[in-house]
Amino acid sequence: MSQNVEPFKGLKKLNRKLAKLHHILKRDINISTVSTPTNNLVLCNSGLVNGLTEDQVFEHFSKHGEISNITMLPGKSCCFVSFSKKDSATSAYECFNGKLNISQNNRPVYLSFVEEVPKPSIEVIWNELPPGLLVFKNFISTEEELNLLKLIDFNHEQCGLLKHRLVKHFGFEFRYDINNVDKNQPLDQSVPTETDFLWLKLAQIQPEFKGFKPDQLTVNHYAPGQGIPHHIDTHSAFEDPIICLSLGSSIVMEFKKDGTHTCVLLPQRSLLVMSGESRYDWTHGIVPRKFDIIKTKLGGYTCLKRTTRVSFTFRKVLSTGKCECFYRSKCDSFLNCNIEEKMAVQLEKMHVHKVYDNIANHFSNTRHKPWPNVMDFVQSFDSGDFLVDVGCGNGKYLSNNTHTFEIGCDRSANLIEICRNRKFEAFLTDCLSIPIRDNCIDGVISIAVIHHLANESRRLQAIQEIVRILKKGGKALIYVWAHEQVKNKQKSSYIMQDRKNRKGTKEMNGQCLTSAQQVSLDSGNITLPVHSNRSNFQADDLLVPWKLKGDEEENESVFLRFYHVFKEHELEELCLKVENVRILKSYYDQGNWCVLFQKM
Amino acid sequence: MKLLTHNVLTSKCIRGVTVGYPLLIKATNVKVSEVEFKPDFVAKVLPKIEWDVLANAAESLGHWQNLPKELPNNYENDTDFLKKIHRVLLEVEVIQGELICPESGRKFPITNGIANMLLNEDEV
Ligand SMILES: [Zn+2]
Repeated sequence: MSQNVEPFKGLKKLNRKLAKLHHILKRDINISTVSTPTNNLVLCNSGLVNGLTEDQVFEHFSKHGEISNITMLPGKSCCFVSFSKKDSATSAYECFNGKLNISQNNRPVYLSFVEEVPKPSIEVIWNELPPGLLVFKNFISTEEELNLLKLIDFNHEQCGLLKHRLVKHFGFEFRYDINNVDKNQPLDQSVPTETDFLWLKLAQIQPEFKGFKPDQLTVNHYAPGQGIPHHIDTHSAFEDPIICLSLGSSIVMEFKKDGTHTCVLLPQRSLLVMSGESRYDWTHGIVPRKFDIIKTKLGGYTCLKRTTRVSFTFRKVLSTGKCECFYRSKCDSFLNCNIEEKMAVQLEKMHVHKVYDNIANHFSNTRHKPWPNVMDFVQSFDSGDFLVDVGCGNGKYLSNNTHTFEIGCDRSANLIEICRNRKFEAFLTDCLSIPIRDNCIDGVISIAVIHHLANESRRLQAIQEIVRILKKGGKALIYVWAHEQVKNKQKSSYIMQDRKNRKGTKEMNGQCLTSAQQVSLDSGNITLPVHSNRSNFQADDLLVPWKLKGDEEENESVFLRFYHVFKEHELEELCLKVENVRILKSYYDQGNWCVLFQKM
Repeated sequence: MKLLTHNVLTSKCIRGVTVGYPLLIKATNVKVSEVEFKPDFVAKVLPKIEWDVLANAAESLGHWQNLPKELPNNYENDTDFLKKIHRVLLEVEVIQGELICPESGRKFPITNGIANMLLNEDEV
């Protein structure tokens, strides 16, 4: 018994409280408590939903003996702790029941004995390495460790601060905004030669990594309590393997794939090699906390207090920028690959043409305001000139100019009908085969059209058609959606608009949660990321939802439009592939890449 | 579809068709609707168009108004002539009918004034 004997009144209140909690346990997770001591205790009123963590449970309960298991249930306000010995459980029960203030708002926790502990839905596996993962303990000596630590001066102004974690890059800067390196901008400081001995050593132990010579090093400085969110190193950015040296402190790194969750201890001075499946298909991360709870080989838990850890992550930049792995669901190169012709045709049919026909009226109602730069171009032509708007939509740019002859064309019958009702001259066509004679048009605009074509050869063909119909000396202006929605720290109007319209409390952080959608087409299936509206793009080829509200609030339908978003210079390079093109102007306008060219 | 548009339309995008110009017009409904007359515009447009093609198209629709078979000289100040041409270029509209490729015979329907120039996948 504890030193302070509870007064009789208090005990009665405690029993009433416990009876109520036992009832909830039985109802919620079908667990019955027992009055005689067992090895297992349930914390009846505190769990993950109350903010209680595994390490807090460990911190207090391990004082009473060896813990064999801690079970935290997602979304529950209870958790379980199991001891190797019944005496330890009894001791913890007597000491803590109604007295240990670790429940929400520092309220006391209420305990009971249970015969059985429920199994969590995702079980954490210990010390079982994902395929392709290697951990070499004591890879370097304490002396080598000290020498390496001396290489990095974290007080230098060149260090970046990431959520309080200090970072320093060598060779190339790893940019966390694009999850990639800028290959064209190597840093002054390359990977220090003092680290070369690591690769000789590695080649001796593991000959398959002979020849690994990193050209990029990221040094992270983790104070106790700091971690790193789960992630996969961008496939197209780096080669296989990725290698990480742990200095200063041991740490537990977690690996996850689908429903599997495994914890791996990275001892101080160990070398971690992530290759194959572990590099491409598993996420890795470090939980931010001050100590790790480690499951021992005997099945018990021990606690490992974290001290300052410095990790050296070595990577080799993938020079081709194109990953060729088989782990396609996680592979940005695969997800952004050039879509095969047959697939492209069907994708455009289902996810561009059909969608525009369905949303034509709503689309037209949201497209009133012409862009000033496009208007200036349209109005720059002489009297009697012929202008063609390829992909004219609702005719926003037609008939602004009474001294020229303007023809609109579009792929959507419903949009062309809107043009016709507005008394504009327009016809139905595909931009890949414009039914207009060669060399007879003075000016062409194609605004927000070519990004709907699903592969590069089709996008090129669209530009070739524009050039073909242009007269020698004729000019064209092309707008396409930009991959870069934030330029010179200025968010594009596309992202800004949402700020104004957004209601509620959800915070905008410029990041998007990309989900993927499998599109079934006659020629097969293709998986494309679905963009969350008003955020930065995370892939080149993607589906962008268009929400169409019905008469009733709940009758909302969502249409997915295919887009290829253009990277900087991509449109210029495409235009220059066509003969007789001279670029007059290339610029960024409201989240679009724009090229003004002349036919020579 | 206005005859000025017809003047630049071709079916050469069809696989196997080399020129595809001019397209024949078969109309079941032709409308003449008033468009503001701008003599300067008409005068500037004339050198850009194929006169014969315009003449044949207008004649087939019965709207040539006895204009000359060849583009006359010094028309810039001939308001009467420009007005007639203005009517042919911009006011005469095919509302219902079809355009026919002179080489392949492929028909492109015109409905509600809109020419449907879309081709099937196997035609390109
Ligand atoms: Zn990959």
